[in-house]
Amino acid sequence: MLKYIVRRVLAAIPVLFGLSIIVFSFIHLLPGDPAVALLGQHATPDRVAKIREDLGLDHPLYVQYLAYLGKLLQGDLGKSVINNRPVVGEFAVRFPGTVELTIAALVFAVGLGIPLGRLGARHVQGFRDGLVTVISLVGISIPIFVLGLTLQFFLSVQLKWLPTSGRIDPRLDFEAVTNFMLVDTLLAGRWDWFVDAVKHLILPAIALGSIPLAIITRITRAAVLDVTNEDYVRTARAKGLNEHRVDDRHIMRNAWLPVTTVIGLQVGGLLAGAVITESVFSWNGVGKYVVEAIKDHDYFVVQSMILIFAFIFLVVNLVVDVGYAFLNPRIRYS
Amino acid sequence: MTAPAMRPERAGRTAPMARRTHGIAPAGPLLKVEDLVVRFSTHEGTVHAVNGISFELESGETLGLVGESGCGKSVTNLAIMRLLPKPAGRIAGGRVEFDGLDLVRLSENEMRDLRGKEVAMIFQDPMTSLNPVLTIEEQMVETIRAHRKVTRAEARARSIELLGMVGIPKPETRLRSHPHQFSGGMRQRVMIAMALSLEPKLMIADEPTTALDVTIQAQVLELLRDLTDRLGTAVILITHDLGVVAGMTQRINVMYAGFIVETATTADLFAQPSHPYTVGLLHSIPRLDAERHEPLIPIEGAPPDQRRSPTGCPFAPRCAWRLPVCWTDNPPLSPIVAGTRVVLTGPDTTHRIACHNPPTPEEATAGMPLRPGFIAAPPPGVVVDELAATLDLSPAAAEEVVIMTDEGPVSTAASAGGLPLPPEDDQR
Amino acid sequence: MTTAAATVPRAEARVSSGLWRDALRRLLRNRPALLGLFLIGVFVTVAVLAPVIAPADPLARFTWNPPSGPPPGPAANHLFGLDRQGHDEFSRVIFGARISLFVGVISVIMGLAMGGVVGAIAGAAGGRIDNVLMRVVDVLLAVPGILLAIGIVAWLDRGLVQIMLAVAATNAPIFARLLRGSLLAIRESDYVLAARALGASGPRLLFRHMIPNALTPMIVAATLALATAIIDVAGLGFLGLGPPDPRTAEWGTMLTDSTVALRSAPHLIFFPGVAIIISAIGFNLLGDGLRESLDPRLKR
Repeated sequence: MLKYIVRRVLAAIPVLFGLSIIVFSFIHLLPGDPAVALLGQHATPDRVAKIREDLGLDHPLYVQYLAYLGKLLQGDLGKSVINNRPVVGEFAVRFPGTVELTIAALVFAVGLGIPLGRLGARHVQGFRDGLVTVISLVGISIPIFVLGLTLQFFLSVQLKWLPTSGRIDPRLDFEAVTNFMLVDTLLAGRWDWFVDAVKHLILPAIALGSIPLAIITRITRAAVLDVTNEDYVRTARAKGLNEHRVDDRHIMRNAWLPVTTVIGLQVGGLLAGAVITESVFSWNGVGKYVVEAIKDHDYFVVQSMILIFAFIFLVVNLVVDVGYAFLNPRIRYS
Repeated sequence: MTAPAMRPERAGRTAPMARRTHGIAPAGPLLKVEDLVVRFSTHEGTVHAVNGISFELESGETLGLVGESGCGKSVTNLAIMRLLPKPAGRIAGGRVEFDGLDLVRLSENEMRDLRGKEVAMIFQDPMTSLNPVLTIEEQMVETIRAHRKVTRAEARARSIELLGMVGIPKPETRLRSHPHQFSGGMRQRVMIAMALSLEPKLMIADEPTTALDVTIQAQVLELLRDLTDRLGTAVILITHDLGVVAGMTQRINVMYAGFIVETATTADLFAQPSHPYTVGLLHSIPRLDAERHEPLIPIEGAPPDQRRSPTGCPFAPRCAWRLPVCWTDNPPLSPIVAGTRVVLTGPDTTHRIACHNPPTPEEATAGMPLRPGFIAAPPPGVVVDELAATLDLSPAAAEEVVIMTDEGPVSTAASAGGLPLPPEDDQR
Repeated sequence: MTTAAATVPRAEARVSSGLWRDALRRLLRNRPALLGLFLIGVFVTVAVLAPVIAPADPLARFTWNPPSGPPPGPAANHLFGLDRQGHDEFSRVIFGARISLFVGVISVIMGLAMGGVVGAIAGAAGGRIDNVLMRVVDVLLAVPGILLAIGIVAWLDRGLVQIMLAVAATNAPIFARLLRGSLLAIRESDYVLAARALGASGPRLLFRHMIPNALTPMIVAATLALATAIIDVAGLGFLGLGPPDPRTAEWGTMLTDSTVALRSAPHLIFFPGVAIIISAIGFNLLGDGLRESLDPRLKR
């Protein structure tokens, strides 16, 4: 098992390495003079000179790359061209928002997707199964921004049940400690603030979670159906176990294997989706930060965010793979 | 052959079994299957999987069900266990009486109490029949505890005892293993231990050795026989291998296309195979004691498409002995010696076949009709499809084929491209 | 349940065309797939015939009263209402189908070409080449879908070609991995081993036996990728990374304008939104139907 984990970690290293090359090229191979392109309308001769020096643009490419890699390993992700703030700091403030949103979306997708998938499988070909199939079809076909705008229109603008945007009522005056709104409001000891934060979280989480919901529903349904036809499930029934036990112990324990893998794969999609979701709901997270950076041609920020997102994606998949191995005795004992 | 009364009086109380001594003889047979009909609804139509079969089994008796794959032997037993795949499969008629209970009408809860406890089952592929993510202990203990109010420790002790009984070394440690850590033969031993853990009255073994190495097969069969013998468990052994049943069972039902076509004691069946299909089965396997130049005689063709409701004898299209009547009338199961009093179980079981024109013993030995000038009856017009299937009637093969039917000659040249061919096999 | 042994030789000679015909037969019996086909048909027709169907030029501007009020919603003269610049929303939705279809199809074809070549080389060559190529694919797959597209558009600047490239780049690694996976599986399969044992060699093996058999999952993946491509293109548009001319009738870009109009002009969200959903549903339905009919083992 330990060997397996070590092997998986080692396998991730070349990917990270390759990633750094791609992200490096992103800046250093910008069309034209990278320094000018980076600065855009902020380009003044001395700023251009400064950037050229910072990036070492006068050196050969491999020297530039090694210098870049050196900075990366020290945790230096560069500075915003617009306001000169270090990217790392900006990221640290906004990342909790994205994590909060992503987790909420994942909870929604898993919490609803697995029961829906099981429901469809149990009544396969029936009316309820049809309903489940339609839900997952629509979920996979509806873009986040369309769903987000629709939810905003009905639940916020028309019914006024939930707030349209933001992470919390801006009039509330409280201190950001962790930047996780749900945590900070509780730390402030205000239950009503916490409820307000939850209300702000609901619509973005649904919008962001819709695609993973559809995918998890599908894969759960398929996995349960697959396992249901396995010989060992027939054995379990032939042993006289009750349906409940057959379901939980024999079907679900096995169906979990593919479902876990797929849940892990959703994290990448969720991070990408967060970029759009945060724009729709003015959610102050990393995604909104990236979009603003793109509009401002703030390439350092875009570059670093791509790197970070990919890094997170790799780590999460690593965790999921290890979890998978833990669930699957055939890997656990090898 | 004339068919005497099809449903004869059950012959008193059946003669007691020679080998089995313990256990109280119940008032009736342990298992009584009457006119069992099983249908499958599929996208391609209704499959007539089992078409009204009847048989009985005494306590402690061993019965072989033999036939090609798809002949309904496994389905029969899944129907007895009420484990037909849902929602496609259903029992469309008949009764299954077990120990005085009508299994077809039993509630799902009552049926569940019976499974594993009174009737146990082991399956063909031990590689897939055990749950890969649970330990052997978890799977054995849950079986016992599903039916007995015992503690986990007691169930565990019993499991160790059972594993020892089926010859698994170091059962205490092996209990904690997962199935993938066992070989195929060992897994089948575990399956047997699990199936016998509640000392069921009936054990259904569905091709228990087909997936195993030849060297292991004999060991597992031996073990199965010894244990069921010792516990007085009745056994239904499903197999396509006549060699397996020969040493394992007291009686044999030969099945074809969802019908029982021949039933006899094992000794009688091998001594005097009487249905053309049985004869065909025996001649299609190589034998060590065969005469040097005795050829293998394959059974031509393949089992019929069971999506059509059967008309006539289901074996007729492949039969070398068929008469014109075989195409239209499905013969009932009748004693090979007309007028014999029918005994359904035990060593005196009446040898019965479903055939209009059974091979003579000489023909059975030769594997082909020996009567001078005998030609298998061609199919009547209504079944030209079958003929088209057995003959190559593509335009390339024949310019024109004329078939004699009841209404006179019919030419295939009339319909361009030959006869309409039967639908092709989707599973190819 | 084979019906006849005597037909086997003929049946085998026909097996390849029979396979496709069987698949087509199954597809035509698959009602959801037919619905998908119908939706795609509508989508393609609208896209192709946009100038004929659209009642107005998508760039023509109409006025409304009072000019300070919100743009009017659906009415007899403007079926889907007007947008905030006074464009006829109905005509814009119709012309939007052109861009979606065009950009979507081209980007999937580009992705197929790039991914197909890489996957075929990796799957056919195996060994070290396979290893290196797959590491590159891993790297690309590590960057979450639309983020990669965003990065590329940010890098290469806005423009239709850039969008196509960006969406293609998100698809290509998926296709590459898929094709390589099926090729490797097929390479080890009994029938290829048999063909090899009978003396079939390199290119013949690859093109005659392996590629055709690896094709079906690619067809399915490409159909499903069209749905994703349409959504991603619209997503880029929504984020303001769509066609450089902001007046272009593109579904995603049309929605960017609407965020502000949420309260006063919901029709500006509804119609482009429904258009995207319908075309995505069409390709998803067809893709699923193709998967089921091309792979008979998946009967459920």
